Amino acid sequence: MTPDDMLTRLSGRLSLRRRLAVVAVLLAGAAMSLLTGLLWATEPALPTRTQAAFGAMIAVGLAWVAYAVWVLTRRLPLFALDRVVAAWLGLAATVAVAVPVAVIAARPVALLIVAVLLLAALANLRRGLTRRAALLRRKRELDG
Amino acid sequence: MTDERLVVRCQLGERDAFAELVRAWHDPIWSYVRRMLPPAVTDDVAQEVWVAVLRGLPRLRDPARFTPWLFTIARRAVTNRLREEYARPEEPLSDVASPDAVAEVLDRAELAGALSALPPREREILILFYLQDLSLETCAEICAVPIGTVKSRLNRARRLLRDALVQKGYSW
Repeated sequence: MTPDDMLTRLSGRLSLRRRLAVVAVLLAGAAMSLLTGLLWATEPALPTRTQAAFGAMIAVGLAWVAYAVWVLTRRLPLFALDRVVAAWLGLAATVAVAVPVAVIAARPVALLIVAVLLLAALANLRRGLTRRAALLRRKRELDG
Repeated sequence: MTDERLVVRCQLGERDAFAELVRAWHDPIWSYVRRMLPPAVTDDVAQEVWVAVLRGLPRLRDPARFTPWLFTIARRAVTNRLREEYARPEEPLSDVASPDAVAEVLDRAELAGALSALPPREREILILFYLQDLSLETCAEICAVPIGTVKSRLNRARRLLRDALVQKGYSW
């Protein structure tokens, strides 16, 4: 077996498109759970069947999140650049989906949840940028 | 280019750097696995090693220590496979590690045969120290044992190899 044969075997795991698709699944699952959860939390006196349906939707969204986290930690790990791109996507998704909903709902609990999510997305982006900057600095040092 | 720079580029997410890394290290890893396991599983185990490397690279804290880290992963993959082989009573280890005819020619048949007949620990330490040209410290790190243990294993491995070659008719 040659190195190129091995690279062919590994090509699926090296695909940036596949990594970002899994990140998109993660964000979609999280957004679905969040929106449903916010709706549930801010709508008073929902019928039992509607509550059950909301619960099921939240569970499905969380299952997507769990699957995506498993793939990203066990099969398609994110490198520094991937992490930065994923962090920007996470921040954009939080701003685009959660913030308008929370503002429209205008309930303290919704605003609090979205504020926490925004802080988490920003912290994640900061961590990704810091890690990438450190690696770029080390690369320049090694270049001499 | 140094391995450390290559690893840093991989951690940054440069796809061509990973290809360079595989091209630089595929042969040492493949030949290590090949000498420890039967030819039929060598490609699959080598792939397992690279998959584990790909998975672990983003978390590798000290890229300068790439070589021992890489061989530690390879050793773990080999150990797992050996454990599976041990669990099969109908396939004893001594039969498992016999090299195929083509490799025997390439590897200098008698030496390869004697090497493959050694117990896994002794075979492993000879491969790492003499064939992969790793230092005692690196071998100790890969095998997770003190340097003194590496030395004693090397002594025992040399003695076993010498006995095996003498049995095959070589004078010492």
